[in-house]
Parts: sequence; C-alpha cells; structure tokens
Amino acid sequence: MAEKLNVISIVGSLRKGSFNAALARQLPKWQPPGMNITPAPDWRDLPIYNADDQNSTGFPATATKLGDAIRAADGVIFVTPEYNYGIPGGLKNAIDWVSRLKDQPFKEKPVAIQSATGGPMGGARMQYHLRQAMVFLNAYTFNTPEIFVGMAQTKFDEKTMDFKDEAGIKFITQQLAAFEGFIRKLTGK
Amino acid sequence: MNILVICGSLRKGSYNAMLVRALPALAPDGMHLTDAPRVDTMPHYNYDDQAATGFPTSVTAFADAIRAADGVIIVSPEYNWTIPGTLKNAIDWVSRMKEQPFKDKPVALQSVSPALLGGSRMQYHLRQCLTSIDALIFGRPEVIVTFAPQKFDEATGDLKDQTTRDMIKLQLAAFAKFIQRVGA
Repeated sequence: MAEKLNVISIVGSLRKGSFNAALARQLPKWQPPGMNITPAPDWRDLPIYNADDQNSTGFPATATKLGDAIRAADGVIFVTPEYNYGIPGGLKNAIDWVSRLKDQPFKEKPVAIQSATGGPMGGARMQYHLRQAMVFLNAYTFNTPEIFVGMAQTKFDEKTMDFKDEAGIKFITQQLAAFEGFIRKLTGK
Repeated sequence: MNILVICGSLRKGSYNAMLVRALPALAPDGMHLTDAPRVDTMPHYNYDDQAATGFPTSVTAFADAIRAADGVIIVSPEYNWTIPGTLKNAIDWVSRMKEQPFKDKPVALQSVSPALLGGSRMQYHLRQCLTSIDALIFGRPEVIVTFAPQKFDEATGDLKDQTTRDMIKLQLAAFAKFIQRVGA
C-alpha cells in the first residue's frame, strides 16, 4: 500500500460564509483513499509585504508557519475566489511572503487549483493568473480537469453550505484522483 | 491636471519608487503629480470586516485621492510574475466601494524590474483587473523599464537612461491628451 499523501488546501477568501471556504472544508469527502486533505495554516494575520520589514525584523511567524506547511505537504490545492478578474490581493500577499523564504516552499510542489464564484465563469480569469505566478515559483501545476464552480449561489445548500452540484462533485472527485496520480508520478511516493 | 501616482512597492530603495520620483521632471506643462496615500496600513480584504465595521480610513483616503484625481499612474514592480499582493489588496478594497473610484478613471501603467521583461507580465494582468473595475486604460506608449540597475544612478537614485526618460516623456504627454479626450 502506497504511502498516504498529505495535501493542504489554501483558501483565498477570509469571509465566514465564503463558497470557496465551504468547498475546501468538504474536499475530504471526495478525496481518493490515498490522499488526506487538511486546511493550511491561516494567513490572515500577515502584514502587507515590504522587503524593508523582511530585512529588519525577518519573516512573520505566520509566513514561516505557512511556508513550513507547504514544504511538508505532498501537494497544495488552492481554493479561491476571483477578485476583479485576478488573484485576491490577500492571497497574493501570502504567496509573496512565502515566495521570499529561503527554501522556497512552492519549488517543485504539486499544485492544483479550484475556484467558485457567483458569476458564470467560475474564477477562470483568476486561475490563469495564478498559474503564471506558479510558473515563476517553479511549482508543478496540475492541468485538467479544471474546477470552475460558476453560479455558486445555486450550487451550495443555503443553510448547511454543502456543495450539492452533482456534476461539480463528479469533476472534483476526478480532479482529486488525477491529482493523486500526478503527485505520485512527480514525487515517486 | 491632477495626476495621482500609486506605487506598488513599499521598500525605501525600490526602483519603482525611484521612477515615481523621476516623473515630475518629465511631465508636460500643466500636469501635476501627487503621491497616493500609502497602502500598507490596509488590512487584508475580508467582506465580513467590511460588513461589520465598514471601510478602514486607509481605504477611504486612498479612494478619495483616486476620485479627486483627473488620472492615475500606477508604477509597480512585478512579484512572482504578476501583481504585488500589496497593490492588488488596495484595488480589491476600493473596488467594493459604492462610488467605485476607478470607474471611468484614466489610468496609465509603468513598471521597472531588474530583469529583461521589465514587469510586463504584471502590467498585462493589471490591465485585466482594471477592465473589471471599468477604468479607462491608456494604451501606448508603454513604459516597461528593464535592467533597472543600469538605468538608475546607484548613489542618487536618479533615472539616468536617456531613452527611458524620452519614452516616459512621450507617455506622459500622450496620457495628458488621453485624459483631455476621455476625462469628464
């Protein structure tokens, strides 16, 4: 039996009722038997990135903690909204912080992306921006199936926030299974 | 003509900040440049905070400055091949305001980087984001300053590269015309 893969999910939205946070919470329901998905450490306390601060006082504990968790993980799944056709500034700030760490955590790290939005495009414009940033960080970004949850308000249960879209669940299950194969191919685990 | 200049880097020795300082000498007659309020006191955007306590004063001050300007120039580095989180977080905050400050606002872009692409990957991402908030995005000439260490004086931080200075002059003059054409 192959070793179970440790995958962490990083959520790009901070609000409590976030569709993306709800989706991330439910990923373990659809993970393959060989994968264990847990939430990444919270990034909300990070200050706005400034190289002068980094040089004078070093990395904030939140940045090192997130960096450590990414390094320790076999794979990372971003689950994030799209803000203004791009990556949420908060999430990008977190990526910018950890990108400056010495043993750069995303280097050769398998990464998958999911997004949910209220509009019809499901965050696609954000995903291609995130892919470009991941190229620079030399992550291995998983390709297809891609997960774009459009019209999120019609796909989550209003009260429980359960993701109830059958087609979406099928795609996510397929993505997670394929992501496991991708990670095993790249890491030999 | 009042132009607000937003800098995407916060560090003191930033090449982009050097470029910002070089702009007044290269601006056409009648163009007055002002630095935007700093964005590093803004918290990370969180809708729950906005709903509970409203917009932080750092955000309203930033938005007011944009609204009051005839045009905006964003001068920013590229972080990890795209927009710095710093700058994007500021844009995300003001984009949620009722009287959205970037709407129909003329915006020009500039970037400096030490490498050969000069921040262009960031600029095209920023164009996409500015499309979502309905800014009037200036086209060409583009200001993409490559190989920054060769173009700024190490001791004084002055922009010494004549070709770059000429390009910026052309952009600022054309941006002034653009604002006259499209501005309210």
